[in-house]
Amino acid sequence: MKWALAALAAILAFAAPDFFALANLRDLALANLATLIVACGLLLVILAGEIDISVGSQFALCGWAIGFAPWAAPLAGAACGLMNGLLCGALRLPSIVVTLATMVALRDAIRWLTQGAWTRMPDGFQWFGLGQTQGQWLLIAASAALALAMGWALRNVRVMRFFYAVGASGESARLTGIPVARVRVLAFAALGLLTGLAALLNAVRFTEVQPSAGIGLELKAIAAVVVGGASIRGGRGTMLGTVLGVALLGTIGAALAFLGFSAYWEKAIQGAIILAAALAEYWEARRA
Amino acid sequence: MIRAVDVSRSFGAIRALANVTFDAQPGEVHALVGENGAGKSTLIKILTGALEPDAGTVERAGAVAAVYQQPALFGELSVAENIALLTERDSRRWLVDWSMREANARRALSRIGAEIDPRRLANTLSLPEQQMVEIAKAVATDARTVIFDEPTASLPEADSARLFDVVAELKAQGRALIYISHRLEELFRIADRVTVLRDGRRIVTNAIGEVTRASLIGQMAGREVDTMVPARETKPGEVRLRAPGLEVRAGEIVGLAGLVGAGRTELARRLFAEDAAALVPEDRRRNGVIGPMPVSDNVGLAALKTFLVDRVAERRSAESFRERLAIKCAGVDAPVETLSGGNQQKVALARWLATNPGALILDEPTQGVDVGAKAEICRLIAGLADGGMAVLLISSELPELLGLCDRIAVMRRGAIVATFHRSEAEPSRILEAMLGAAA
Amino acid sequence: MPRPQWVLLGLIAVEIAVFGAAGENFLSWANAVEMLRVACEIGLIALAVTCVIVAGGIDLSTGSLMGLSAVALGALHRDWGLPLPLAVAATLCLGLLCGGLNAVFVTRFRTLPLIATLGTYSLFRGLAEGFTNGARSYGGFGDSFASFGRGWQAIVFAAAAAAFWILLERSRVGRGWRAIGFSPDGAWYARIPVTRRLSLAYILSGLMASLAGVIYVARIGQAKADAGTGYELSAIAAVVLGGTSIFGGRGTIAGTLLGLAAIVILQTGLRLASLPAEFAGIAMGVLLIVTIALAERRSRWVWAIAGTLAAAVCAWAIVRPAPPTRRVTVAMMPKAKGDPYFISCRKGAEEAAKKLGVELLWDGPTDLDPAKQSEIAESWITRGVDAIAVAVANRDAIAPVLAKARGRGIKVLTWDADARPESRDAFVNQATPQAIGETLADEAARLLNGRGDFAIVTGALTAANQNEWIVHIKRRLERHPGLRLVKIVPSDDDRDRAFAETQTLIKAEPSVKLFMGIAAPAVPGAGEAVKQTGRSDLFVIGLSLPNLCKPYVRAGHVQSVVLWDTVALGRLTVESAVRLLRGETLGPEIVLGAPLIFTRANIENYDF
Repeated sequence: MKWALAALAAILAFAAPDFFALANLRDLALANLATLIVACGLLLVILAGEIDISVGSQFALCGWAIGFAPWAAPLAGAACGLMNGLLCGALRLPSIVVTLATMVALRDAIRWLTQGAWTRMPDGFQWFGLGQTQGQWLLIAASAALALAMGWALRNVRVMRFFYAVGASGESARLTGIPVARVRVLAFAALGLLTGLAALLNAVRFTEVQPSAGIGLELKAIAAVVVGGASIRGGRGTMLGTVLGVALLGTIGAALAFLGFSAYWEKAIQGAIILAAALAEYWEARRA
Repeated sequence: MIRAVDVSRSFGAIRALANVTFDAQPGEVHALVGENGAGKSTLIKILTGALEPDAGTVERAGAVAAVYQQPALFGELSVAENIALLTERDSRRWLVDWSMREANARRALSRIGAEIDPRRLANTLSLPEQQMVEIAKAVATDARTVIFDEPTASLPEADSARLFDVVAELKAQGRALIYISHRLEELFRIADRVTVLRDGRRIVTNAIGEVTRASLIGQMAGREVDTMVPARETKPGEVRLRAPGLEVRAGEIVGLAGLVGAGRTELARRLFAEDAAALVPEDRRRNGVIGPMPVSDNVGLAALKTFLVDRVAERRSAESFRERLAIKCAGVDAPVETLSGGNQQKVALARWLATNPGALILDEPTQGVDVGAKAEICRLIAGLADGGMAVLLISSELPELLGLCDRIAVMRRGAIVATFHRSEAEPSRILEAMLGAAA
Repeated sequence: MPRPQWVLLGLIAVEIAVFGAAGENFLSWANAVEMLRVACEIGLIALAVTCVIVAGGIDLSTGSLMGLSAVALGALHRDWGLPLPLAVAATLCLGLLCGGLNAVFVTRFRTLPLIATLGTYSLFRGLAEGFTNGARSYGGFGDSFASFGRGWQAIVFAAAAAAFWILLERSRVGRGWRAIGFSPDGAWYARIPVTRRLSLAYILSGLMASLAGVIYVARIGQAKADAGTGYELSAIAAVVLGGTSIFGGRGTIAGTLLGLAAIVILQTGLRLASLPAEFAGIAMGVLLIVTIALAERRSRWVWAIAGTLAAAVCAWAIVRPAPPTRRVTVAMMPKAKGDPYFISCRKGAEEAAKKLGVELLWDGPTDLDPAKQSEIAESWITRGVDAIAVAVANRDAIAPVLAKARGRGIKVLTWDADARPESRDAFVNQATPQAIGETLADEAARLLNGRGDFAIVTGALTAANQNEWIVHIKRRLERHPGLRLVKIVPSDDDRDRAFAETQTLIKAEPSVKLFMGIAAPAVPGAGEAVKQTGRSDLFVIGLSLPNLCKPYVRAGHVQSVVLWDTVALGRLTVESAVRLLRGETLGPEIVLGAPLIFTRANIENYDF
């Protein structure tokens, strides 16, 4: 994965040095901010050996909730996450099935609630009422701080270490006295909360929120976490890897535009890059 | 000090434990023996608090720690953290103190004489090292009671010796120890008292000096058990299995001795992959059988020759093996994972007997199997060789090899270093070959 | 029979009871045939995916492979002139190859199935879009092929179901899959050829996906890169609902068929009961969770909750107020339900329906699946409405359904976009694609003073009407030789995506001075991007709703928005339908008037 990222950076530096202009990097960071925050939460869920494919629908629901009050977004997200968590963690239903169900149900619920209408943000909501430049840097600083805090906490906060143990083996974790069910519920609830936060920070960049927002977000975030070296079976993964995964997958599109590729081939090239990363990982594992 | 008084526990209609009273005093090793299914695991779970009894009481003075047969470490976490997760169990701290964790781990490891870097990830450790970390976990918790559940089942003999030193030291520190093992010889080396469980009931508790191997076996089985393997007349036929430095002929049982990591399992896997022989692998739960599949499907799995499965014939074959190998199960439709260890092993064996192989490799076939089933499996192996099969037997139990084999080959560092004929095989010479000149 | 299947049978019984009572003509032969037709493609994929999941894997690439197969079939038959049977055979071979690619990654390179097929999910769809530039669609496959899509696929499906049943339940291949799913190591030690068995599962999955692609083309009469969008998830949902464990080992073909039936009955039933299509997703989510909870947990609570739910739904179906008198019903379908453009059309349609005293049914696809329009129209025919008005997304695909409706005496109108003239009674024409394209191109030329580069921000790359406008925009450029269309980027009808794509274009293609958004969310997206650069030398124009663009037009970031009065369009459509039903004769085309151009000067006068 790091090789893929390095190769992409090298090609860009050679063929399209404009790509590294500060303004472009800033805009790319802003464009991928939502994915990064959701990926942070998803990392917790994946570490705990579970999966959540309903984050895209949660994202849309949280965006709609901002229409009532900004703080309603994280609250709505946490509620959705808690629901997933109780079904998967407390009832022990398989998370892929539960979140497939909440993914379609929440998506159609938001369609029905809004009937497609966009949600208008309160006046002065854009950039939290700050200027555009300050607002942009505030968002970047906030998400960077979040990623750093998450990386630090994953290493140094006791509860966060439980995610690794639960994901590696739920049974052993139980025997060690870790409250396994509560850890799983916590993972889903934290993901919901972060998804709500992502929806809020993303909405701050605009004046209106679309009810069809977030379609495909779950695939983007899962791909980033897993390309970043986390094991989909749980127990292994780092924040740094996830950040690099978001960086790789989130910049491919823009990079291709700078390299002059037609948008019609973009999906094909993205797929090829995921497969190439898989191949690189295979070669690396074989050498080791 | 720990004491369970009149505890009972049922699972559905099955009574796993009935009015059992059991205790362990500070500074003593209390051994617990019984066949598989006698209720040992249930009793341990109740003692550690993992299970609540239906009736009866448990008194514990201080914490209880347990060391299980299969190390269950978190592979992606460091040794220090694996130990800390248990010692910090009731901690109220929010943050991790890594240097303290490492210091604690180092102290616990040095107390049992293990030289393992606490920063290593658990999945980089060898099996004996993992077992030592499990023991360090028990030591580090300052548990007043430590339970060992077949700790030597996956350890080679040399490492077992070190384990006994650790047990002796823990005992000297005044802890109460509970020790479970199928290897009865061990008990006579370390135990003070021994309790026999059978069918969920306590049969008898005695001082170790008052019992003999034979009396224990009799009490465990509730009947006379013939542990002797009948003497065999061998008429070796043509060579059926060949590896560098090793030949196995039809009708012959060749033993393969060596330390864990000497390359015995790798050799077996290689011969199996080359289609040279059938293989009943080590770690039967993971590899030998497919747990959730029914007995009949498991028995038929390797013998499927046609595209369509003849389910009637498959059932018939499973029924015949059930009878021939005396597999105890509710029916051939029962998932294999519901069977006891010994019976699972018989299913794994039946799968390959169904293919009628010329050569058969058995990797630790009696590991974790109770005494009665062990003798049965040994007699089965002898019977197979008498029927003209070439058998390669991998085992870490020297008595088993000495009792069964026509020849014993010794492996060290991936190569066969010596071969002893039955008449010249002596434990000391084999051990010497296993350990190499340096030892 | 295993427990989950009993639960499912009960569920299907409840569904049939409820929709039999609440839906019109639900219990009819025609509806049964229609449901089978709809179920075939997802069903074929679900059969193969059952095997993949039983073997411990997953395949996300099936829907994308349907799209690639559809395009390949079209290209082989129409461009290369291969006879149809040969083209079909070659397409199926392509499916085998693509399945083989998944197999190589999973078995040879030990990639996790989720990651490998996520990669090919993107790759296959991307190849289909790349080769056709997103836009090209192939039609004209002939009548015999189309008639194959009218019911014969059921036989293919039945044969496939039987074959997969034998394979999974009765053959040693299936026994191997099951063993691998439970424990790959254990399977290796039982001398099961793990690599070969796993490969076969993925290859069969590829084959079935491309077969589904071929049948899809036969059913809707057109091959385009967006075929099968989202089918992979529907198929997985059917498999999982059918009791197959996502962890491998457990699962049956019978369960999958029951799961598929439960989903298709639910979707069709909701339409026939005139419930909004959005209920399908909500109901399916609840069903999935309840079914899996019943199958996995033997708790009395779960049973109590499920029983209460079922009883409540049954009670609702019986006592719900029946429509008082049989009123005239006009069914109106947008291209996409969530599109703000069509939402404003609906407003006018509802006003007119209220005034004229007719019942208005409003439903349409919630996603970009071009087959959905035909399915909804079919259910309206089954239900027996008086008039159908369709904003046609795909004229070849919808033609047979519209012909069938007219055959039943239903008045058929088209609005917003026309079908073939012979398949409708009247077309309510707001503006031709040509007029739209020309107005946009002229407006661009006016702002750039006839010289300069511009870029288009479209909806989805495969969206049919946007692609038609692009054709006309390009054609008009002959009049404006100084203009150059530098790039076309997709927004997938997502404002955020339109924003990000425009932002990147501003930097990557500095020569571009004008952005033309041709989907309703694309104009505000591009407008916001220009606003955030703080530059005043960039122009944004496009086709969108005045209300979405007002802040940007006011502030001068968007110069002009081209559109007609959408509320009036909805009103006119319903009025025309009612006039037709009263026996009045109308001309073949009812024209709304020329497109409006909204600028800072006049935009405050409009509210839609």
